[in-house]
Formats: sequence, C-alpha cells, structure tokens
Amino acid sequence: MESITAYTVSAIITLVVLFIAAIIANLIKFEGGSKPKDPKIRKRWFWILCLVNPVLIFLLGFFVFMPDGNMRVVKNYIGALCIGTAAGFILYILLGFILSRLFTNGKLGHWF
Amino acid sequence: MDKLFVIAVGGTGMRCLEAFTHLCAIGMFDSKEIEILTLDTDQANGNKGRVEKLIQLYNRIKNGGTPNANTFFSSKLNLYRFYTNYSGQGRENYKNISKLNAGTPEQQKGNKLISDLFLDNESVQEFDLSHGYRAQTHLGSMLMYHGMIEAARNIVRGTDVKVQEKELDEFVMKLELAGQDARVFIFGSIFGGTGASSIPVIPKALQDFIKIRSKGAASIDFSKAKFGSTLLTEYFTFRKPNDKQKASKENSVIADASYFPLNSQAALQFYQSDPTVQRCYKMLYHIGWPVESKPVDTGSTQTITGGATQENAAHITELLAACAAYDFFTRTTGLDVDKTEYVYKAVDFNNNAFSFSIHDFVGNGNKAGERFANKIGAFFSLAHISLTVNNAANGDAGIKGFITRCQEQKITQYNTITDAECGEINDYFKAFAYTFESARFTPGWLYQVRSTVAPGTFIFDSKAFPDSLSELKKLDVGTIFLDEKNHWPKGGILANRYDTFVKKLINLGPEEEQQVNTTKEKFLAHIYNAITQSQGFLLI
Repeated sequence: MESITAYTVSAIITLVVLFIAAIIANLIKFEGGSKPKDPKIRKRWFWILCLVNPVLIFLLGFFVFMPDGNMRVVKNYIGALCIGTAAGFILYILLGFILSRLFTNGKLGHWF
Repeated sequence: MDKLFVIAVGGTGMRCLEAFTHLCAIGMFDSKEIEILTLDTDQANGNKGRVEKLIQLYNRIKNGGTPNANTFFSSKLNLYRFYTNYSGQGRENYKNISKLNAGTPEQQKGNKLISDLFLDNESVQEFDLSHGYRAQTHLGSMLMYHGMIEAARNIVRGTDVKVQEKELDEFVMKLELAGQDARVFIFGSIFGGTGASSIPVIPKALQDFIKIRSKGAASIDFSKAKFGSTLLTEYFTFRKPNDKQKASKENSVIADASYFPLNSQAALQFYQSDPTVQRCYKMLYHIGWPVESKPVDTGSTQTITGGATQENAAHITELLAACAAYDFFTRTTGLDVDKTEYVYKAVDFNNNAFSFSIHDFVGNGNKAGERFANKIGAFFSLAHISLTVNNAANGDAGIKGFITRCQEQKITQYNTITDAECGEINDYFKAFAYTFESARFTPGWLYQVRSTVAPGTFIFDSKAFPDSLSELKKLDVGTIFLDEKNHWPKGGILANRYDTFVKKLINLGPEEEQQVNTTKEKFLAHIYNAITQSQGFLLI
C-alpha cells in the first residue's frame, strides 16, 4: 500500500512539473531577429524542471506524504520513494520527449 | 486571357514602371506574364537604371519561377530595353542626325528651310539629344518615331544590328504574336520631353515597325488592339536653368519646369483633338497633382538635364499611374470603344492635404480596395520584419531569420534557400521600404511615396514609417494599418502580436491554388498566407 502511495506521488508530481514546463514553454514568446533566443530558453527551463522534479518528488514524498507506521512500513515506503523518484525523472524525460515529438513544430518541439 | 505589355518612356515613365514593379511584387498581377519595354533617349538616365535594376532583382528573386496566384512576386516579368542612339559620331543633335549638310546643294537648302520652319535653328537643332528631348515634343515625336523605324530597317537589313534593336524586335514580335489579345499600357508624362513626345506616336511607330519587319505582311489593327496610357500632368518642379548653364550649344535648350503647367494644357488639348491618338488609345487615365509641386533637385546647383544624376524620388502620382495600368489590365468592359475614353477620379482634400484611403487606388468594386490593402500591407509588414525586426537594414540576416525560425520549428523544406537568395529578397525590401547607408537613413519607394502625401493620410498609420533606429526598434509590425481591425491579433494577455503571427506561420503552408513550384515561391507563399490571414481583411 505504502509503495503504491510513493509511486502515485511520483507520477502525479512528474505530471504536474511537466505541465508547468509546458506552460512555461508556451509563455516564452517567439522572438524575431536573426538569432532568436527563445528555443534555448524553453529547452533550458525543461531541463531545470527535469532536475527539480526528482528533488520535489523526494522532498514532498519524505516530508508530506510519509506514512505513519512501523519501521518496515517506513522502510518499504522510502525504498518505493527512491524508485519513484528515479522513475519520475525518467518518466519526465520520456513524456517530455513524446510531447516534443507530438508538437514538433510548436514551442514544445524545442525541448528536444 | 489577354497578354499584357507595358512600355515605360522617359524619366517619369520609368518611375511609374518602378511603382508598377512594386505592385507586381506585392502580388497585384496574379498569374500574369508581363512583357516590359523601357524606352528612352538617355541610356544612362538614373531613373531608367534604377527601375531596370529593380526588375532584374525581381527576376533574380523569381529565378525561373512561373506566374503564381495570391502570393508575393506572383507575376513573371520579361524586360526589354530600347534606347535611341544619340551618342555616336554624327548622332549628337538634330542637325547631325538628320544629315542637313548632306545631299546636293538644292537638297541641303530644302532640308534647311523645312527644319528652320519647325525647329529653332540655334537652339532646338543643336542641343545634345542624349539627355532626352528637353520638353521639345515637336522634335521628340519625330525623332522617337524615326528611332524605332530606323531600328526596324536595321533589323531587316541584318547588318550592324544593335543589342537594343534586337530587344525591341523581341518585344514587338511578342506583341505581334498576341495580336488582338494584346493589352498595351504606356507610362510617361505629358508635360516633359521624352514621354510627352512618345505617347502620341508609339502605337503608330509599333504598327510601322511591324509592317517594315514583316515586309508588309503584318500590322496592328487599331480598331482591335487595346492601347491605354496615362495623361500624367505636372507634379514636380526643379531649378530654373540659368544663363551660364545654357551658354553652351549642347545645353542651349533645357526644360523649364515653370512651363510644365502650360505644356500639360497644350498636350491635353492636342490629345483631345488628335485623330491618331483618339483612334489608337482605348483608355487614357487622367492623373494630376492639383496642388503646388515639390522641387526634386534641392541638393543641386544646376538644372539636371538627364544622365545618371537624374534619379528623382518616387511620388504618389506614379503609384496612381501604376494603379491605372492595373485597372486597364483587369477591366472586363469598356475596351471595345471606337474613340478614347477618359478615366479619372478625385481624392479627398482637407486641411491642405490629401487623404488617401484604401479605396482610392484600384477602386472598390468586388472588394478591390481591401485586396490591394491586404497585399501591400502584407508586403510592407514583411519588409519591416526583414529590415526592422531581423535588422537587414543594418546588414543582419533579414529574411534568413524566417528560415532560421522555420528550422527551429522543424519546418525544414526551406533549408535549401541560400544566403545569397535571402540577400536578394532583403535588397528588394530595402528598395521598397528603407535602408541605412553608412548609418544614414535612406527612404525607399514606399517611404518616398508616403512623404509626398504627409501630413495627409495614406493607407497606413504614420507610426508605420519611423526613420530612426530608436523609433524603428519600438515598431510593432502587426499594427501598421490605421484601422485597428486590421492589426494582427494580440493572442491573449501574456502573448504579443509577433508571437501569435509565428504560431499562425507554423500552422500554415503554401496552398495548391497558389500554383507555387520552386522552394522560394513556396516559402514566400507560406509567409504571404500567415501575414494576410493575420491582417483579417474580409475579402468575400
């Protein structure tokens, strides 16, 4: 049960962070000029949030969603949280890549 | 479908042709191939050189492309150049070219008497013809006619045929081939020299050229041929020549701008009463400038008679002359008349200034005014994006920035367009709008046209014409029109007009009905679609 909580927390936080990254990408305006900087800024924000995502998963999972219970329960939860953090990191990149390909001509296309 | 022919004569004719070329660039002559002949006595004339360079640049941008629809540079232009040769030995002035001193003493006496009857012996017969006919239209008409006839005879003879004669021959052959499907529009003024001399005689000269060339087998039937022209009266002035400048025989005759109103009146009377003009021309567009004319030679100490230094700024009357050609080429009725029809319209004049609306150029039937504004607005916006946003006016990438943007958005089909090709499009925009030369602002054609109307209104908001770097940096290219409903959409609180435009650019592409073939044509059609759709004109 505690494992499911950790994985759910990881997935939800990943999706929220990815959603925020998409909003930021769309808020950055297309620039004119011969060397527009906006693609690089979008990419930079995507990777910043990519690093923020596992930190956020772990911190929120540890301090907010930690279950009350015996040592075994806590140990199982932390184990699941660590896996969830790593999975969230990979999921963020994977979903980001898929979105980037889906909207390849749009602003999200600058992520990859 | 009628074949279109344009003939530009003299300095003013060249500037009208410049305006016409810009109308072609903005896409007013969709799916048309237009044969253009420049006709002058002054081979080195600055106006002539400028427009020929512009058409050559246009053609480099088209680069083997075909006529398209609803896009920039949609028509195909074929340029032919003819000039009467007054530069060789024995061709410098009337006396020499007409060989007054040749023949038997009896013939010489007769020739002199008849020349002296019509042409002043000391001045008109001896001035240098290489700078045009200097408002001596009685002399000019005769010489222009004979210049073209001489070319026809040289071609028939087949020896020592000059390049310009071959080009005239090619043009006339196309005209002959088109037969009664030809529509010929002639640009020129009626108040100056070369244009005023040539407009009355060109149809007849072309007819006789064809007769000589075909040895009597072909001709032009004026009851079926469709000729049109402008009756362009005086709209500029220049320095009055002083006695010192007129002291030499070559400059014994110099056009005096103070006589231009009188010349115009005399020409109008002549056109009205001359049976040849009335029979040859189906339509004459009466264009004038009924307020004080502005001087064109403020920086010069002498009257400029011609040559490379005669490079006057553009004027709105020339754009109106080009719009007259548009009317002539696109009208479906009124060309089956036996006698010349006159066409004119008036423009609002308030507070000592003209107010031009979008409906004052090509009419308002079938949303023509909106279509014109949509096209010229799109081209002007693109010019500003290239020159201002992408900074081509100061040597930066300009239109190449669009290709970079497309690459960033993974739209890669335009990658093959080279830097040189982008440079040519940038150069065209510099001629159209503005540029900076050695950090000095240089107005292009549209800026010059607008300045002749200011402080009156002219299609666009006056804020669309900044002339300093700081003002240009502040320009929002999506807000060039006076009417806010034609501004590009803002696209929400956190977006801006340019951002919304690029989103549109990404989601659009060239359409099949635009008939674009080359990569560059597709690229231009793609941008055309994004800008015109952003402007929100209701065209249906």
